[in-house]
This record gives sequence, structure tokens and C-alpha cells, in this order.
Amino acid sequence: MSPAREVDGHRYDVIVVGAGPAGTLVAKRLGDQGWRVLVLEAGTRTLDTWPGHLDAMNTFYSSLIKVPNSPYRANTAAPSPNVLDTVPGKDGGYRAVGYLVQNGALPYGTDYVRADGGTFLHWLGLTPRMLPEDFKVRTDYGYGRDWPLGYDDLQPYYCEAEREIGVAGDAAEQAEAIGLPFPEGYVFPMHEIPSSYVDRVMARELNGKSVTDPVAGRQVPLRVVNTPHGRNSTPNPDYDHGRGYRPVGAAGLPNYGERCVGNASCTPICPVQAKYNPLKTQARWSPKVTLVDRAVVSRVLVGENGRVTGVEYQAYDDPAAPVATTHTVEARIVVLAAHAIENARLLLASEAANSSDQVGRNLMDHPVMLTWGLMPGQVGPFRGPGSTSAFENFRKGDSRKKHAPWRLVIANWGWTWTAGSPGSDVAAKLGIPASATDPRGDAVYGQRLREELGHDIGRQIAFQFELEQDAESRNQVTLDPKYRDGLGNCRPVLTYDLSDHVKEGMRAATDVSHQIFGLLGADERTAYSPDTPSYFRYRDEPFTFFGAGHGAGTHVMGDNARTSVVDQWQRSWDHANLYLVGCGSMPSMGTANPSLTMAALALRSVDQIHRDLMDLHRPLVVRPVPLGGDTHPTEVRP
Amino acid sequence: MTTGVPLTASVLADAATPDLPPPAPPAEDVDRFVALSVPLTGFDTFELYGTGMAECYLRATVEQLGEQAYRQFQGALAAVGLDPAQLTDPVDRDIARAVTHLWYLGIWPPLSADVHAELRRQMANTAFTVAPEAYVQGLVWQTFHGHPQGAKAPGFGTWAVPPPGEPELPPSAAPSGGPGHQPGGAA
Amino acid sequence: MTVRDPLTGLTGFTDIIGPLGTLAEPPFKIPETVEELRYFLQAALALEHLTIPPYLTAMYTLKPGANQEARYAIRAVVLEEMLHMTLVANLLNAVGGQPVVADPDFMTDYPARLPYAKDPVPIALRHFSREALRTFLWIERPEYLADLPGRGGPDPRGWSSIGQFYATVRQGVIDLAGRHPDLFSGEASRQIGPEDFYNSGGMVFPVTDLDSALKAIEVIAEQGEGVAETIYNPDDRLFGQTREIAHYFRFTEIYEQRRYGPHDTPFSGPTGPAMPVCWADAYPIDPTATAEQYPPGSQVRVAADRFNTVYARLLWLLELAYNGEPKRLQAAVPVMLELRDLAEQLYRNPHPDPEKAARGIHASATYEITGVELTRAKAELDAGIGSAALLAVLS
Repeated sequence: MSPAREVDGHRYDVIVVGAGPAGTLVAKRLGDQGWRVLVLEAGTRTLDTWPGHLDAMNTFYSSLIKVPNSPYRANTAAPSPNVLDTVPGKDGGYRAVGYLVQNGALPYGTDYVRADGGTFLHWLGLTPRMLPEDFKVRTDYGYGRDWPLGYDDLQPYYCEAEREIGVAGDAAEQAEAIGLPFPEGYVFPMHEIPSSYVDRVMARELNGKSVTDPVAGRQVPLRVVNTPHGRNSTPNPDYDHGRGYRPVGAAGLPNYGERCVGNASCTPICPVQAKYNPLKTQARWSPKVTLVDRAVVSRVLVGENGRVTGVEYQAYDDPAAPVATTHTVEARIVVLAAHAIENARLLLASEAANSSDQVGRNLMDHPVMLTWGLMPGQVGPFRGPGSTSAFENFRKGDSRKKHAPWRLVIANWGWTWTAGSPGSDVAAKLGIPASATDPRGDAVYGQRLREELGHDIGRQIAFQFELEQDAESRNQVTLDPKYRDGLGNCRPVLTYDLSDHVKEGMRAATDVSHQIFGLLGADERTAYSPDTPSYFRYRDEPFTFFGAGHGAGTHVMGDNARTSVVDQWQRSWDHANLYLVGCGSMPSMGTANPSLTMAALALRSVDQIHRDLMDLHRPLVVRPVPLGGDTHPTEVRP
Repeated sequence: MTTGVPLTASVLADAATPDLPPPAPPAEDVDRFVALSVPLTGFDTFELYGTGMAECYLRATVEQLGEQAYRQFQGALAAVGLDPAQLTDPVDRDIARAVTHLWYLGIWPPLSADVHAELRRQMANTAFTVAPEAYVQGLVWQTFHGHPQGAKAPGFGTWAVPPPGEPELPPSAAPSGGPGHQPGGAA
Repeated sequence: MTVRDPLTGLTGFTDIIGPLGTLAEPPFKIPETVEELRYFLQAALALEHLTIPPYLTAMYTLKPGANQEARYAIRAVVLEEMLHMTLVANLLNAVGGQPVVADPDFMTDYPARLPYAKDPVPIALRHFSREALRTFLWIERPEYLADLPGRGGPDPRGWSSIGQFYATVRQGVIDLAGRHPDLFSGEASRQIGPEDFYNSGGMVFPVTDLDSALKAIEVIAEQGEGVAETIYNPDDRLFGQTREIAHYFRFTEIYEQRRYGPHDTPFSGPTGPAMPVCWADAYPIDPTATAEQYPPGSQVRVAADRFNTVYARLLWLLELAYNGEPKRLQAAVPVMLELRDLAEQLYRNPHPDPEKAARGIHASATYEITGVELTRAKAELDAGIGSAALLAVLS
């Protein structure tokens, strides 16, 4: 019998919904503290064995278009969105053809993975921290939403998250170049991942120079700064007050993945698992934690007193067959960690936690604007992690009042994202068009083909402008009973658009990009095609953008129950024993890749969950009341 | 307990039952295939054999084109002195494109619709990766001294090294005011 | 040459006819002076290296994507042999020695004679095959009865097993540590630590005293043969890792095409699940091939010579790493990966001799490292090829 059916009717201290990065960390900490934890995972757990990992590798090798979800097999019971799911519309615009139903002005291009390990199976593995100023953008810059907590509240949890994930980086440079505060003498567990040759060429050409931000009207100095990674590097013996750090290798194969060897495929899959994934943490879970896969939670069960009693879930056997049986399981505390969009979907389907009417709203991402070109000389692209450095100076400052800030990421993999290189380059040289019915071009063969490809591909560079998107209540996840998945659950219906604040940011970024290509002496090849699903025009200029895979903001935290879904502990205002963890709680995202902050938030929530559980377990103490008084015996909690 | 859905309905069931390995083509045929691939690809015999894919590609090519069209192509290429640019027949020209594409990417590309119709093959005219290893052995990565993404990893830190022929870069100095930190330099 | 394996009762290796290369062995005695101990440890370094080319040959002759389970099993063993080499170097440095690696005498010609053995077992460079696995089983054979040589002068009985050799080294270390309180006075900066050596099959650790010295010897002996009378290596105990089986038993699994089950012992043999092995999915090679047999100027000859030069570069990097420049070890890993690509290209090419090619024999990497290759590799290194650039960004 499937393990999902075996837990029917059982009772746990905590149920965690979702075995992705946040759920896995929550379960790890609570299990270590001795609580009985049940983790329900909608997808399969094929990848937590080495043969399962190799199967994913082969699936990746065989896939024609290598997108983030390429290695992970389809699952009709728990479908995942795919970045290929938005296609050009017949008369311009876009059409959504996959799991996510979309009706917004612009497409939401972000995917996620519903499988054990979650979207961290294909994350790029970058772990920059948010800036202190990112936590109060409404107050200071007049857009988006403020956090109910600040950088200092997260500081210890950032450090903890950097331990759990195993972060490689140069803390001193992060402090000096970006202004990030760290505890006195703090170093990351591992030395930084070396910056790529591409980065080093950029540093040679650009460090010390500056560009003009035409929208904000300011000069921005350029400086290439190494990015912290959740990826194994050289352990730093000074870490942890001289106790050092032992890199954690692959899940399922000993002595493997203890250091990044430069496979250059972090997204969609690290072949050696030098990149952190939650399966590594799961391998160290206490026996108090039970993972049950192929269990799709369909409803959060709320009791009469407003407290959550447990969840209803559907157990299935065969991911190719959308049939299931329905069960329930109970717990003192329920933690939803199923991804921002899935958390919202589940809450809406349960009619829970939504007295504020904010569930599903404020859907965000980091819209990514790409620009690309050819350097004069060879730069050795397609080597190393997807990105090892960025220009960090566009993330901060008063220009945020004028337009969305961005992190200017240097891409190491040529035009792979912008143009499908190197496959598209080969097809172009051979005169093979996208469609079999289009006319064929002339082909180049032999030594000339080899040399021309090498000459061009070896000079490819690309920039990723990852913009902050402000929380807007109109960008939201809703449900419509018309649209259901194989098991009969409502699919998420997305309404999505970019604000003018973001579009002004893209306008400024375009100009900055031109200036940088100019300073590099590079041949800019950026071209935005109306055939791209996300194509739009703004103030007479064409733009396209892509999803960053940073889905966020569907159950935002705040300081009051009327305007937000969770409190600063990611605890539902409406249900005192329901936690909603993950990027969905973020009221704003700044410009940092959100994974590290999400992990820090999850670890911070664990402290409060632990306190809540202790309260629930605490014995009542009846104290004698002096005779003669007119008070009644009172229950007192010590 | 089963879900009641027959396994034959499962896409996964198909994936789990690999085809029987086909018989190896005669060595002379492989030699000839590699020989005609040299002028197409610009890679020499040693490099082409070095991929380990010659047999597999020959099989895929013959399967896609049919024995007759493949022989015809061989003859046509020989007739123009192994210079593919001199091919005139649209079928031969498209075969030259496809075989080269296969070597460079491990992917058999769609033929032009007209050529596919003329060949009267049963199989659909769609692109496919002929084997997982074929992607790994694609020649395109060698053109710029790279390696396929996700395989043949060159080792920690190698991405910081100049590509062949490019200069080593001096560690760049920190901008004024910094405590001497170098981007990419170890702490 | 016919040898009977006392464990399997099988004879074989009849295809090896010519003379065998030999590795210099110390006299059959317990080392009694620090000088003698260093000599023993230098011999141990060469011994650990001896196994690497045959294992790499089996692994890299596998056809692309084939025999994944066997590939990972052999790979794990190779990594542990590299760990052993490095631990021996640490031990030798700890007692004030100077490891020698980049020397024509460090490597023997293949086929080589199995050192420290009574029988003339040929260790040849073979493609992935039953014969190759039987060779490996000879190398890693557990030795439960390790009679040590007597004290006071060479013992006429002679060496009988590698396990016996390491037990002898161990006794020598204990004896000498008792007599020389400053035995472990080598410079700490010459020790290789986990910063410079990764994916190591257990952690590399500095040797600074008797405890760490004995731990190093224990790792070396037990990762190969297993903890006394079990199939497991000591990694779970020494490094807090998950339990793994020792080399001999990993190779037995491939040979028998069956995994060990949870209750199996060295004497039960593997009774666990079947392990899919396809012997045909490997490129057959000539175990006695030399680069000279390939026509001068041919692509195969150029590649075979190139392989040997790059292998010589690897030896230089190890030599430098073990002699005060531990960072060099990081630069050695990319060289190993370059060797992998060069070797795989060779094995996938037909043998240049048409007669051999007709029999399905392929070209191969020959691991012939002489003074010529070492000199050429040193010149390349000094010119900054293959290491300088990487070191510049790593340091």
C-alpha cells in the first residue's frame, strides 16, 4: 500500500505541506527538536536516489529544449508549470497552454517543480542577501509594501541559512562593496566561487567607470562583485570561530559533489550535486520526520474555533494516472510550504486565512530583461556556474523613487537563454530554419563551419537585468471551477502585469545596457521580437522579459490582520496554528534572488513554531489562592 | 493496490522498456560514414571516432533516410570531390545539413518538408536527440574549447582561466577606498 | 603465464607472455630506522599509484553512457586510491621525508608484476572485462593472516601480500614512535588538508602524530580490503559517513554481477540484488599495447604521446603538491579530467593496425612515462601551461 494511504487518520505535532527548500528546513529543525513531523509531498521522490538522479540527467540530455524543468518527468497528478507554457498569441500577445491558466495583460513566465526537493532541484544556486533598505520600500521610496521586520531581525537567521545551505562567498567584499552588515568577524562557510573569465574581462574593462541612469538622472559607478553561492567551494577553516566547515556532497552517492567542478548546468540540474538541494538536508533528517510522497493536499481543515485541525489529501500511485483516494491527517500545527502559487491555491480552495482578502494577491517575480552581444575577443562562455558576479550598484538609492531597481547579473552561459545557443548558432550556419516548411538557407561546412562557430560562440556575452517588482493587489492568483487538473483540483488562474514603475526600470536598464556595451567595445545584438510571448511596447520602445523562477507575494506578511495574510512569523492572522512559509510571505523582494531570504524566514518561523508547540504542551499549574479573598482560583501559565 | 489504469496507458511504462540494441553496422560502413563526415564537420577522423557516436549516428541516419537515399547521398558527395558546398540536389543538400547538425548537436533535425515527402519515410519529420550520450558528444562545444553543459566538467575554478589564446588578466585592483579586495580573489 | 587465484580457484591471464615490469620492494623486514621507514613509505606511494592506471583504463574503456553502476563503483575506488596516495605523502612528510613522484622509476611499465605477492600476477591495462576485474580482485585481495617479518635483519620468507606490507609499515611506525619522540617533526605546511583535496572518498587529513599516522594506515588498508572479516570499509567509523563496502567487494559485485545484501560476509559472497553489467559495452584493447606500435605521425600516435605527456604533468603536479605546494593538488583535478577526455578519445578509435582493427581492437592510452615525457611536461608547466593560470585564480 502506498505510504500516503498509510498515514490516513494519524496525528502529528506538525504537518508540513511540500518537501521543497522551506518545508525541508522547517522539518529538519522541528525534527531535531523532537517534534513528530509529517511532510506531505505532492510529487514523487524519484530523485532522492542516485539512479533517480541519473534518470533525470538522461532526461535532461535527451530534451531538445533545455529549460529548467527538462530533467523532471511529467506528473499528471501533480502537474508543474513550464517556461514553455506561454506561446505567442495568434494576433500578438501570448497564449497560456500549460498548468497555469493566465488572463493578465502580460504572461507570468515563472515555473516551479512539484517533486521532492521542489524548485531547488533547478535553482541556479545564488544566495545574495537582501539589502537593509529593501525592507521598507513603501516608506522610503513610495512603492510596494513594507516588511513588518527588518534586516537586523533576519541577521542571525541569514547566518543560519548560510550554514544549512552551505554558502560560498566573500563576506568582506559583500560588506565593503554592497554595504551589507554582518556579525563581527563573520565569514561564509566556504571561500567564494572563483569569478569567471567573463567576469574578469568585465572587471578589467569596466571597474572604476560609470554609466548614466537617464531616468533617475544620476551617475552609477560600475564594479564587478562576486556573488555568494549555495554551491560547494573551498571550505574556509576560519568559519564558525575556527571550527571550519565540511562541504555536504550528493544525496544518494557518497564522496561526490564535494566541490563544484564546473558542469555549467546548475539550472536545470547539477550533475554532481555540488549545488545545494533539499535532498541533502533530508538525508540528515531525524527519524521523527516522516516524508510521504504522492500526497496532494487538497484542503486545509479548519475547526470551529478557527484553529486548523489538519489537512485533507489525495494519495495516488502512478504519476501517469490521475486517479487518487482521499484521506485526512491531523496535527497541532500545519505549515504550508508548497510554493507561493500553490500555497495561495490551497488557501483559496480551503476558504482559509483570507479575512484580509489578500490571499493570492501581490503576486510577484523578478522580471528579467536580457541584453546580449559579442565581445571583440574570446571570453570562454558556457563555463562554470550560470553567473558568478554582478554589478550591485543599481540595487539601491533614491533612483528607486523613479523606477524599479535591478541587479545587473553577468551571465556566464553566452546566449543560451537569450537565443538558445549554441544549438541555434549551428542551425543558422547550416541554413536550417525553425519550421520544416520555411525555405532553407545556404550552409557552411567543414573547417569553415568549425572556425566560424568557434569564433562567434566564444565571444557571446549576456546581461540579465533582474528587476524588483512592486507588490500590486491586481496581480493575483484566483481559482475558477472551470479549470481543474487531473485530480479535480482547481488550477491556479493568474492575472499578471508589470507596473509603470517596473517599465520605467526597464527603460533605464536598456539605456544603461547600451552604455555598457559601448564601454566594452562589444557588438550589441539585443533584439526584442514581437513573436516573444512577453513582448510589449512602452513609451514607444519594444521590450520583452522572462520569469526568474522567483514566484512570491501571495500571502504577504504585515503588521496587521486587515491588510496582510501572515504576521512577522509567517503565521496566519486568522488561524493561530497555521503557518504559511516561503516566498509567498514576502511583501517586497528587493533585487536579491529570494532563496536565501526564504530559508532565513523559514528558520525564523521554526523558532516561533517551537514556542507555540511548547505552549500547547505546557502543563497547567493550579496555584492555591489565599482563603478569604474574593478571587477565584486562576490557571496560571508559568 | 493499483489505480485501475492499465500500465500500457502510461508514458512512463514506454520509457522503462528500452528497445533491443540493434546489430552493429559493418566496420567498413562506419569508416565510410566517418570519412564523408570529415568534410561536413571540419573534424578529423580521430576526433569523430573519439566521440564514440559514429555507429549510432550512422544507424540513425540510415533509419531516417532509408538505405537507398543514404547510398545516393554517399555517391553524390563522392562525385563532387567530398565538397558539400558543391551538392546541387535539394535532397542531398538537406541530408548534408542534417548529418552535420547531428554531429554538432546529437540532434537529428527536421528535414525540409519537401525533402521529407520525397523520401517517403514512415517516421514523423521531427527533431529528436538520438541518444542521451549524443548530446554529451556534440562537436559544437569543441569549436570554442568548451564542454557540453551538464557533462565533461573541467574541474573547480577552470572557468576563471582564459580560453586558449586569450591573455591572463592581472588581478584587478579594488576601486579607491576599498581594503584591497580583489573580485575573484580568495579571502 | 598461468596464475591460480586461491580465492576464486580460477586460472588465467594467459594472454600476457612477455616480461613484467616490477616495482622496487623494500626488504622483508620491519623498518628499524627513520630512514628505512621513509624508504618503505616511498614504496607505499608508488604502490598506491600502481593501481590507478589499470582502474582508469577499465573505467574509460566503457562505451558512452554504458554500465553506469560499474562506472561509479570503479570511480569511487580510484578516488580512494588517490586519497591513499595523499595520505601516504602526508605520512612521509610527517616523518621528514620528501615524496618522489615525477621520476621515471616511480612508475613501472605495464603489464607489471603485482608487488608484495608470491605469485607472478600480471597487472595489465585492460578494458572493462572479466579479466580486468579478476586483476583488480588480486590487487585488493584481503589478507586475514598477515604474518609480519621477524625483527633484526631481513627475513628469508619474503613478502606475501600488500596487507602484510602495510601491517609491517604500521609496526615500524609504532616501534619508531616509541624510540623517537620527535618522529613526527615534519613541517606542517607540507601536509595536504581538505582545502586542497576534494571528492576524496573520506577526508584527507594532516598527519602530525602517532594517532593520525595509524589512522592513515588504517584508512589505506581497510578501504581496500574491508574492516577485518567484513565487507565494509571504515569510513562510517572514521569519517562519520554512510557505510560503504571495501574495494575488493565492490569489484566482486561487478565480477559476479550481483550486489552484496545486508547480511553478507566475505565468505558468503554477494547474495543481494542482481547488478546489470554488459561486458560487450566496452572498447576492447590490447593489454600489451605501447605507443611505439602506433605509426609515427598517425593521429592515434599523436594522441597517445599527448596522453603520456599530460600524465607526466599530473605526476609533476603531485610531486609539487606533496613537496610544500599543497595548492597544486587543486590544479591536478582539471588535469585528471583532461586525461579522461584524451583517453576516451583513444579508446573510441579503432587500432591503427588494420589486422587488430579487424579483430575489433581499439587504440589505447599506454601510460608510458619516461624521462622524455617528464622533461617535456616540466617544460610545459614552467611555461605556464596547464596549471599556472588556474593557480593564479585559486590562490
